[in-house]
Amino acid sequence: MTTALIPRTLLAACITAAGALTIAVPATAQEKYPSRPIEFVVPWGPGGGADQLARKIGPGLEKALGVSLPVINVAGATGQTGLTKMLTSASDGYSISVFIADTLALQMEPATKWKLADFTPAAIMIQQPSAFMVAENSPLKTWKDVEAEAKKRPLKVGVTGFGSADDLHVLYFNGKGLKMQSVPFPKPAERYTSVLGGHADLVYEQLGDVKSFLDSKQMRPVVIFADKRFPDFKDVPTGKELGHDIIINQFRAIIMKAGTDPARVKAVSDALAKVAATDDYKAWLKEQFADAASFVPAAGAAAFMKGELDAMRKYAPKK
Amino acid sequence: MDNTLVLLAQGFVQVMQPVNLLFLVLGIVLGLLVAVLPGLTLVMGVVLALPFTYSMSVTPAIILLTAMYVSGTYAGAWTSILFRVPGEPIDVPLLWDGYPMARRGEAAQALGWTLLAAFFGGMVAATTMVALSQPVAKIALTFSSPEYFAIIFFGLASVVSLGGGSLANALISLFAGILLATVGVDDTYGAHRFTFDVPILADGIDYLVVMVGAYGLGEVFMRMEQGFRSPQLDKAGDIRTRLPRLKEALAMKATFIRGGLAGIFIGIVPGAGATVASFLSYGIEAQYGKRGHKMGTGIPEGIVAPQVAATASVGGAIIPLVTMGIPGSGATAIILGAFLLHGLQPGPQVFQTSSHIIYAMFASVFVGIVVMCVIGYFATKYMVKVLDLPEVIVSAYVVICCLLGAFAARNSLTDVWLMVIFGIIGYLFERFRFPVTPMVLGVILGPLAETNFMTTMISFENDWTVLFTRPVASVIMCVAIITLIYPLFRYLRQQHKPQ
Repeated sequence: MTTALIPRTLLAACITAAGALTIAVPATAQEKYPSRPIEFVVPWGPGGGADQLARKIGPGLEKALGVSLPVINVAGATGQTGLTKMLTSASDGYSISVFIADTLALQMEPATKWKLADFTPAAIMIQQPSAFMVAENSPLKTWKDVEAEAKKRPLKVGVTGFGSADDLHVLYFNGKGLKMQSVPFPKPAERYTSVLGGHADLVYEQLGDVKSFLDSKQMRPVVIFADKRFPDFKDVPTGKELGHDIIINQFRAIIMKAGTDPARVKAVSDALAKVAATDDYKAWLKEQFADAASFVPAAGAAAFMKGELDAMRKYAPKK
Repeated sequence: MDNTLVLLAQGFVQVMQPVNLLFLVLGIVLGLLVAVLPGLTLVMGVVLALPFTYSMSVTPAIILLTAMYVSGTYAGAWTSILFRVPGEPIDVPLLWDGYPMARRGEAAQALGWTLLAAFFGGMVAATTMVALSQPVAKIALTFSSPEYFAIIFFGLASVVSLGGGSLANALISLFAGILLATVGVDDTYGAHRFTFDVPILADGIDYLVVMVGAYGLGEVFMRMEQGFRSPQLDKAGDIRTRLPRLKEALAMKATFIRGGLAGIFIGIVPGAGATVASFLSYGIEAQYGKRGHKMGTGIPEGIVAPQVAATASVGGAIIPLVTMGIPGSGATAIILGAFLLHGLQPGPQVFQTSSHIIYAMFASVFVGIVVMCVIGYFATKYMVKVLDLPEVIVSAYVVICCLLGAFAARNSLTDVWLMVIFGIIGYLFERFRFPVTPMVLGVILGPLAETNFMTTMISFENDWTVLFTRPVASVIMCVAIITLIYPLFRYLRQQHKPQ
């Protein structure tokens, strides 16, 4: 039985190989995908936002795809170390990765070693609006207070680093005549302490990332950079209402290497769509103060990323 | 207060449940292992353990990680004292006095002091954590980058003035270390510095490579030169592990208290962890201790001061984590991640909603310290026997340990070569009477000093006087400057005397 099988598989392999030379599709169409575990690279440390996303969708994705997805955390260089790891593996769909807006922002640096064309997004999973926040006991109560104060003295704004989306907002308001100064604190703990301890006047952050400080009334948003007001913060104006159209969302996506068979990208994208449609996932989005319509399937994801990058470029200082 | 004690008692009951206790002991053992291996730092160990806690329920998960954190600040002392290979950066100050003691045949005493110091530091900090969390956490918020810079500056200044020998050589060594620390992509503006287009250099020279190479491998080279025949080692085996007598310990009560306070405080402020606590406490002891001038020659104060502070920083770092949701150190940042993944947001409200988990965590620190010390006591008994082995064999293991450590840090062979280079540099330094310590110190504290200095400058519009106009920063800066100038002054006076 087994001896008969081997020549047959060999034969099949030869036919597939021959076929692959002429048309690319049959080669992959014959093998069921996925048939073995898929490596799930998280280019950030455990516990952070990117990691939480992977852990959240992992079980649902395993069920939908029928294989396990071991998560590997490869942190470093604003997510580029993990990205490089994914990009150096084969484009067979057995290595996927989380990709976030902070890493995309690096594209504005001409020296960046990778391009958008190096990978194919399978889906955008979460989009979180950001906000300027003050400490609860700050003398600046509303955006009006902030504007008035920023005309008198430079306000210090806690950001992740220069050139980040955070910094772009500060530069934008500098252009509008408000005096603000970005102060970089790469570690979240130090960034939050800066505003809670009164060392910075404002901090730029995604609402979901400082949920505990918002819930415990230690911080409060003064302006949210989103299309419409949030039910939880119905008294807080959006940037748009105030005439500041700048919206750079923090998004987190799942990507695969460029050149992966489109059918395989679609398989992953469909599985992600299933996960995103669950009530559990929707509840999580709400908890994270994320856009309820965060999910973008593979079809629109690449265009979405380009759009986000263009938005960043628009507000970036000209070099 | 009564309420706190009741809750704490309930925490103890939880920790004593078989499953939780099992994870506590497991955490302690893992923490000890991670601390002993130079390539695996304490923070990395907690990171590696985190994924295993995803499927666990929240209380054992938090207990496991907390236990690892507690014991991770202790066991690195063993290799520091016995082999001059610091398992963690926090153990670097321990080897300055611990290793000379071991070479004199007092390894058992050195290990005994370490044990007592870890126990005392841990217990004092844990008590503070339970009793004073709320008020103490508020003070920590007043600290910002100028204060952090001042603390680190003091750390750099105080250690340079030690170690005897030439102050000029110490400064040269320190600046070499700081220069090494600048390699890589700069944290603030993202500029590439001395990277020569080598990818691994973009991430900087890992302090671990310098630390393990210069101390561990450098020492092996030194012994190789002497033909692996140092007579002192024979004595070590005669003595069994010995805890200090109560009288000896009481004589050093000031050292214990200073170290404990420094550790708790550095633990609480979010910008610094056990490493800074350890260095700072050693520096304080050298400046204000009764036998400060003898530090570095192999006296117990040099072991107690850094070890008390390192273990005390654990309790300190947990305070802002549970009261405000701000991690006080690298390891607590990971523990925060574990809380979040289990759907819990540490912060003021957590005392109302899930106080049982917080108090189980508190209790696990107390129980963890006891378990750690018991294991430590019995383990050291056998470890001292290692020194009975022929030196050449021990050295071979040290070399293997150094190579593994350098590779494990970033899975890179380049790091192994760098480590070997720093081993040679460390040997040459010793040979030509340049102290190694300031260089290692520069590599470890340099990046922290730079980042906090840059943040201060950006935050205060390039006005360096804030370092002297903000009260806390100003006091620390002045003390640091006196620390630097005083030896120079003394040196000049001695120069004049003979005439």
